[in-house]
Amino acid sequence: MSDLPEDRRPAGRVLDARLHLLDRQILDVDGTPVCTVDDLEVHGLDGSDLPGGTQQAVITSLLSGAVLATRIFGGRPPASRWHRIRWTHVSDVGTTLRLGVRSEELDVTWQERWVRDHVIRRIPGGSHDPG
Amino acid sequence: MILGDLLDAPVSGPSGDRLGYVVDVRFVLDGPLDGLLASPRLHGLLVSPRTGTSFLGYERTGVRSPALLARYYAWRHRGTFLVRWEDVDSVAPGAVRLVDGYRRFSPALHGPV
Repeated sequence: MSDLPEDRRPAGRVLDARLHLLDRQILDVDGTPVCTVDDLEVHGLDGSDLPGGTQQAVITSLLSGAVLATRIFGGRPPASRWHRIRWTHVSDVGTTLRLGVRSEELDVTWQERWVRDHVIRRIPGGSHDPG
Repeated sequence: MILGDLLDAPVSGPSGDRLGYVVDVRFVLDGPLDGLLASPRLHGLLVSPRTGTSFLGYERTGVRSPALLARYYAWRHRGTFLVRWEDVDSVAPGAVRLVDGYRRFSPALHGPV
């Protein structure tokens, strides 16, 4: 594959951002789809926003937002438009990313809750379980 | 730092010579414990000299099918290397600079992909 020397084998699981994280589906603790990983937020361990190689950096949040336009035309959404899911909530990384919390507790699903409360609930029969 | 600002950024050596582009960023789940999992620690950057995209990862894995695609993408990304995060001198929006004496490593992934 390559004539270059092998890197030391790290103790933890290796994740390449594009290969294993970006665009993956995020499921909540009940298996309900929440959103996809559109980007990642990385900070230095000392909290710095633009860490250099002299200090360790870690993923602090998964980001989701309206990225369709920026993927077509370039650029990225302003920081205020991102919805953040703290890495603290992530419980497993596989084909999908699993969270340890319910989607209702996350800001990223506010639009679904708003439609449920202001639109669906006003439809006759929409405020109770059809069963 | 938003990772999207780092992906596809041009990478230059200590003397300013262009080495390629950041095609992916490698993390390792061995950072400080943060909630239910360890924090993904930024381990290094994958730099490809020829292109800004490497979304299928054929140059990093042993996947050999479909054969035509695997051969094409492995060839297209020949020369891809891993540079450790500690060998990165500075990161600015749209520009990554490596330290003097930086080392290149194989980009191969081990274990399940």
